[in-house]
Formats: sequence, C-alpha cells, structure tokens
Amino acid sequence: MPNPNNVVVVAEQLQGDLQQITQELLGAARGLAEKLGTGVSCFLLGHGITPLAERLIHSGADEVIVVDDPQLKEYTTLTYRRGVIAILEHLKTPPPIVLMGSTTIGRDLAPRIAAYMEVGLTADCTELDIGDYEHKGKADPTKVGTFNNILYAIRPSFGESLKARILGPWKKPQMATTRIGVMQALPLDKTRKGAVFTVAVKFEQEDFRVKVVKTARDVSTSVNLTEAKVIVSGGAGLGGPEGFDVVRDLASVFKDAVVGASRRAVDSGWIPYAHQVGQTGKTVRPDIYIALGISGAIQHRVGMANAKTIIAVNKDADAPIFKFAHYGIVGDLYQVAPLLKKELIKMAREKGVKAGA
Amino acid sequence: MLKVVVFIKQVPDTSSKAGVNPDGTIDRARAKRMLNPFDRYALQKAIEIKRQYGAEVTCVTMGPPPAVEVLVEAFEHGADYGILLTDKRLAASDTLATAYALHMVVRHIGAFDVILTGLQTTDGDTAQVGPQIAERLHIAQITYCEGLSISGTTLSARRVVEGGFQEMEVQLPVLITVANSATPLDYKRFGDVAAVKEFLRHPEEREKRIKIVSLDTIGADSARTGLVGSPTVVGKTWKLGEIGGSCVVFQGESMEREVSELIEKLKADGKGVEELINA
Ligand SMILES: Cc1cc2nc3c(=O)[nH]c(=O)nc-3n(C[C@H](O)[C@H](O)[C@H](O)COP(=O)(O)OP(=O)(O)OC[C@H]3O[C@@H](n4cnc5c(N)ncnc54)[C@H](O)[C@@H]3O)c2cc1C
Ligand SMILES: Nc1ncnc2c1ncn2[C@@H]1O[C@H](COP(=O)(O)O)[C@@H](O)[C@H]1O
Repeated sequence: MPNPNNVVVVAEQLQGDLQQITQELLGAARGLAEKLGTGVSCFLLGHGITPLAERLIHSGADEVIVVDDPQLKEYTTLTYRRGVIAILEHLKTPPPIVLMGSTTIGRDLAPRIAAYMEVGLTADCTELDIGDYEHKGKADPTKVGTFNNILYAIRPSFGESLKARILGPWKKPQMATTRIGVMQALPLDKTRKGAVFTVAVKFEQEDFRVKVVKTARDVSTSVNLTEAKVIVSGGAGLGGPEGFDVVRDLASVFKDAVVGASRRAVDSGWIPYAHQVGQTGKTVRPDIYIALGISGAIQHRVGMANAKTIIAVNKDADAPIFKFAHYGIVGDLYQVAPLLKKELIKMAREKGVKAGA
Repeated sequence: MLKVVVFIKQVPDTSSKAGVNPDGTIDRARAKRMLNPFDRYALQKAIEIKRQYGAEVTCVTMGPPPAVEVLVEAFEHGADYGILLTDKRLAASDTLATAYALHMVVRHIGAFDVILTGLQTTDGDTAQVGPQIAERLHIAQITYCEGLSISGTTLSARRVVEGGFQEMEVQLPVLITVANSATPLDYKRFGDVAAVKEFLRHPEEREKRIKIVSLDTIGADSARTGLVGSPTVVGKTWKLGEIGGSCVVFQGESMEREVSELIEKLKADGKGVEELINA
C-alpha cells in the first residue's frame, strides 16, 4: 500500500518524454519531505509509461503510483483529472502536499483537482518551504490556531513587485504549482531504490467530452538554440517577416549566433517554430541574448532569463523586458540594430588591435 | 442563438504609481482601476463569436460597486448584458471561493453554451478561477485557447502546449480560457457607444441591461465565500527590488549616443563581448 503521508508530485510526460519540470518538482519535494520527515511519492499517468517510473525514482521519488491506460495516451483535462482523483481516493487519507508544474498541463489540471477536493492551491510558486504559522485573524474563529510544519507557498505577485507567502493549513492536501526553471532538480542517482504501485481507473462517459484531433509538437533540433553562445531574437516589434533580415544581419556579427523569436513572431508566420524561445519553445542559456522588439512576457522570459547578458531594444520604455534585461536601449530597433552592428564590429577591432600591439 | 458568458474583472492599474503603498502593496481605494488586460482577449473573442455566429453576450464581474465600470466598457465593445456580483461577504475570497461565487452567477443565469474567461488576472495572477468554475459546473474546459470555431453543437479549438499546439473538439457547453498569444487586440468599439451612453441615463433601461446582484439574490452560501470560505490566506508579503535588479537603460535624444554608451558600458563591465564577434 502506498504511503499516504508522502509529499506528492504529479509527473508530466508528453508522448512518453518526461518533462523537465517533473525533475524540478521532485527536487523541491525532497527538500520539503526531509523537513517533514517523510518521503516523496510521484503520480505518473499516461499510456505505456510504466518504464518511466525508474527514472522518477532516480530523480528523487521513493514511491511511484502509476495509472497506465490507453485512454491516457494524449493529455486531456477530464481523463487526467479522473486519473489523479482515482489515485488520491486510493490513498484513503489525503497526502499533506501535492505539487504540479506551472505548465499548460499543470495549470489546466491542478485547479480542477483543487476545486474537486475543495482545497487551496497556490499558483506559480518560486519558492517552497515548511514552517509554522499562528492564525490570529478573528473574522473566522474556526480558523484560529497554531499550525506546525505547514507548506509555505511563496510566489511573486503584482507584476513581480511583491513576494507573498500563501498558507492553507486547514485542509489537506495543500496544493501548489511551481514556475518552470526555478526549482532545483537533483542529480540523477541510479542507485536509488523505490516502490512502484499501479492503480486502475474507471472512466465515465463524460470524461471523453473533449477529443484531441491533432497534436503538433515540433521537437526539431534544426536550429541549435540551446547550445548557441549568442542569440539575437526578434518579436512582434519587427512588424513583418522582412524584419528578420535586420535580426539576421545583427546576428552575422557574432561568431556563433543563432536567430531566435517570440511566439507572436512565430504565430504570425514570420519565422518557423524551431526558432521560438520561451515556455512553449526552447529554453536557452547563451552568453549574450539580444531581444529586438520583444515585450518580455513571462512566457518568453522563462525561456531566456538565464542568459548571462541580456540586451533589449524596445521603443517602449515601460516594456517589461527592461525589468530583467541587463542592458536596454529605448528606441526603434530599425535604427538601433544597424548602429549596434557597426559599433560592435568597431569594438572588436579595437580590442584586436590592442591585443596585437 | 448562442448564449455566451464572459468573466471580466476590474484590477488596479499597476503601471501607474497611484495607490501603490511604500511597501509595494496596493491601496485599492486610491489605485487607478482598469479592465484586466487579459480579459480584453476573452471579451474580443466573445464579440467575434457574436458577429460570426450570432450570440447573446453576458459579461459577469465580481467586485466592489465601481467594478460596474468594466461592464460599461464591455457594452461599448458590443456586449449585450452585464451582471455585477457585489457583496461585502466576498472580501478576501481566494480562487476557490471566487470560483464558487462566480459559478453560482452562472447557475442564476441559467442556460449557456460557451463561457469565456481571461487567461489570468494581473492582481490575482493565478489562471485558476476559470478551470475552477468549470469544475463546479461539471463541464469541459479548454485552457490557453488561441482560436476557435463553432459548428452546430461542436466547438473546435486550438490550444497552446509546450512544444506546439493541440487541436481539439468538444460538445457544448464548454468553458474556454483565452490565450493572449496569436490574435492581437482590436481596439475598435463594436458596440454603439452613443446608445450605451443613452441607456445608462435611463434607470429603467439601465436595469434591463445591468443587473446588480448579491449573494442572496443568486442563492449563494456565504459560508463558502470570502475569508470564511477560502482555504488559503496571504501570510506575509515582501517588497522585491526591481527583479533582475539593475537594467542599465540608455534612453535619450540620439540613438548614436545611446548605442555608443551601451558599448562603452559593455567594455567597462568586461562582458567579453569582443571575444564573440567576427572581426
Ligand atoms: C501558454 C502560453 C505559452 C506561451 N509561450 C510563449 C513562448 O514560448 N515564447 C514566447 O515568446 N511567447 C509565448 N507566449 C506568448 C507571450 O505571452 C507573448 O504574447 C509573446 O511573447 C509576445 O511576443 P512579442 O514580445 O514579440 O510581442 P508583443 O508583446 O506585441 O511586443 C512587441 C514589442 O515590440 C515593441 N516594438 C514595436 N515596434 C518596435 C520598434 N520599431 N522598435 C523597437 N521595439 C518595437 C513594442 O513596444 C512591444 O514591447 C505564450 C503565451 C501563452 C498563453
Ligand atoms: N472577480 C472576478 N470577476 C470576474 N471574473 C473573474 C474574477 N476573478 C477572476 N475572474 C476570471 O478568471 C480569470 C482568471 O483569473 P485568476 O485566476 O485570478 O488569474 C480572469 O481572467 C477572469 O476572466
């Protein structure tokens, strides 16, 4: 029988590929479990995915609870909802904590589970911790009390200007989703051992109300964004496909540069999807990232915020990208990019001359 | 005719400094107010459905009395009816309690085919309320929807996923959360702005279009809303410095100047940019 007192991570896999967020969640869950003196359980749903259980154990899970069913081949809200509920009900007592990713799946599924269970859910956490809490507020006398070893779900709020600690010690499980790329995955430990359980699920006709007609996932590696030292990216601010000529021209200055793009530029059909940077594109870590006409929406940012040096060109001084870039130029990219190209070449030449002298 | 319900929220305008306390929290009484920018996409999608297939569009908002302003804005965009749920017992509702209250408004309305919500709010910022309304109503949902079409009782939609997109089909009714990607906003007002002004002046006409309801009107249980009905509380907040901290921004009269200042700064900071250039 699986241990209902473990911290739970709901794994995410797409067509049999474990998503990176799952390893991050397992890393976070281990930290919490150690403070609570308990273990980590991972829920794994899908079809033909049971072999992934071992990877989850190597990544930090003590127990993996699998629902392997042909109906779960593709992710749909209602079938996966049924699967997660089946596992939770199989556990009899609700676990203390359930974590999911702030992905398009996690943010689709977690709120439905929380509403079904009538429990709290904190979105998009950037830190998780365990601690005590004394609730004094008199508005609701039934809530007053001191609570030990509860989940601290910490998240940015109000456009990232504040950080808030959200607490919900009154009901179990305490649920949270965590932002992509923030929690630390553990190094893979192939010596770790764990237990695997399977749970059968009984679907209802109503679980099949949504039919997936087509899933387009582009996993092409034709554009080597993930290994590039320099990325020059263009966004909606380019105004049209010809704008990428300017992006390519600036990129040509660098030895090892690749052209990137925002989703809006990709969706406008100006450049193929393989160039997209961000939550639903590639995650990149170049030495230099130059963003031309990109506003810096959170979904773009999570894909490139780890670049060593971010230079943004945007004509709007209030664009969010100026909040996290390292250098910014407020101006029209069509004027700035050619000047930047010229000056960068000059800078490298001067340096070359000095080095040669 | 299709019945479309759109959830829109009034949020503090955080781009203006008004109403931002020194500790970074918002003084809602002093802050400027605006329609949650993400909800504009939902509203636009509703008006598109109305123009394309014929629909009656009802906008619903929950908040203090001034929130009626977002309903007026929605009329100007072409919405037909507005409902404001306002009640002191809703204060401090978290997403579970908010979704409970909002789903009771839907039950009060009765029949519906499509419910649209924004992706998320700029103040709550959770993207949870939409799916939680769907759960309470026991209906299907499509989140992160980038585009849709309706044929009979079948709705086809495209949804954003990591690595691409999904195309799906669902039988009405359904709740959709509208993504902010793909379709840019159209700033045209599709409603008759003059007519909106006119009916707002006549209490009787106004009442036909805007209903102001309380928890009692919609038969909601106040034990499931507000502080009492919320399983979570905000325990503590900190002010963050500007995130990433310190963007050095060059801004001025001449682009040449800005660019050369940037280059000087890159050199001074020893970023090693030179090494990466073909010279
Ligand atoms: C689930 C989901 C996943 C997503 N995944 C991704 C993702 O992986 N990657 C991604 O990028 N987005 C993603 N998005 C979309 C994201 O939310 C934004 O809509 C998108 O990043 C905006 O692209 P943009 O910055 O190019 O466009 P906009 O936000 O329209 O910004 C254009 C910018 O260009 C500036 N500009 C205009 N003209 C000029 C000029 N001449 N010179 C200089 N500046 C100019 C403007 O001031 C503006 O700031 C996702 C959205 C969702 C809902
Ligand atoms: N008080 C409210 N009134 C009306 N709609 C709301 C309210 N709160 C949330 N919503 C809807 O739910 C969506 C998601 O909100 P949130 O979960 O707060 O990020 C919003 O874009 C709105 O469409």
